[in-house]
Amino acid sequence: MPRLPTFHAGLTLPLEELREEFDRLWTTLTAAPPLHGWGVRHEAAFPAVNVGESDDAVAIEAEVPGLEAGDVAISVTGNDLLLEGGRTARGASPADEKVTWHRRERGTGSFKRRIPLPVAVDAARVEARLVDGVLTVTCPKAVECQPRRVEVRSA
Amino acid sequence: MSTPTPSAKTALPVGGTDATLTYQPNVDIRDTGTEVIFDADMPGAAADGIDVTFEDGMLSVQATVPPRELPGRAILQEYGIGNYRRSFRLGEGFDASQITADYRQGVLTVRVPRLAAVRPRKVEVRVGS
Repeated sequence: MPRLPTFHAGLTLPLEELREEFDRLWTTLTAAPPLHGWGVRHEAAFPAVNVGESDDAVAIEAEVPGLEAGDVAISVTGNDLLLEGGRTARGASPADEKVTWHRRERGTGSFKRRIPLPVAVDAARVEARLVDGVLTVTCPKAVECQPRRVEVRSA
Repeated sequence: MSTPTPSAKTALPVGGTDATLTYQPNVDIRDTGTEVIFDADMPGAAADGIDVTFEDGMLSVQATVPPRELPGRAILQEYGIGNYRRSFRLGEGFDASQITADYRQGVLTVRVPRLAAVRPRKVEVRVGS
């Protein structure tokens, strides 16, 4: 198996670890959500989404690791797409009472996020796929919102 | 209402060039006494591109994420897509040969069992008659 480039044996190791931890903290502290501009801290919405628009559809992608298809509900109302769902903690059953947590970064709970769509979509033809924790929702545009090529006739 | 933690990927990547961004995955680490279990959020990774190594008490996970793009032009971009890499120092007393790793729904779960000799043991107290 390939060795990691950051791995060094010996005394440098704790320092390397510390540096990585600081890097992680620093990037978290200094990164502002680009949507809201710099200098203002907002609680980031979950899940983060990427949205793409083509001539005939709007595609929304969100990373929701750990969710099964049944854990997420998608609905379209007017020009809004609503993503709802939740994630439960692993190993939280009473049988695991002896568990000691060293880190809990992943978080659990429910979420609800409304994503405004730029155009009207055909709600009946919206499709969603969940593969390896990546949710992709494809919303075909309503016919009247799709670009139509107009033939120019010469007299 | 509590919500799941947003992916660390909304922050700046920790390394890599523009062509291959690298992010640190969010992890949960729990210890049952007999084993330490890591759950790492690594959505979109290629199952055959995930590497888990344990060497000199250091557990390293890394994953290659195939590039993916939404059709058309991007009108909202809240997170980046890139590879994952993170390391943890566990120290001594673990059985490297028994480490298992599963990737399911974008979450990598690595179980690192302790050597039998260092597992907590409950000692029966015998009552003399």
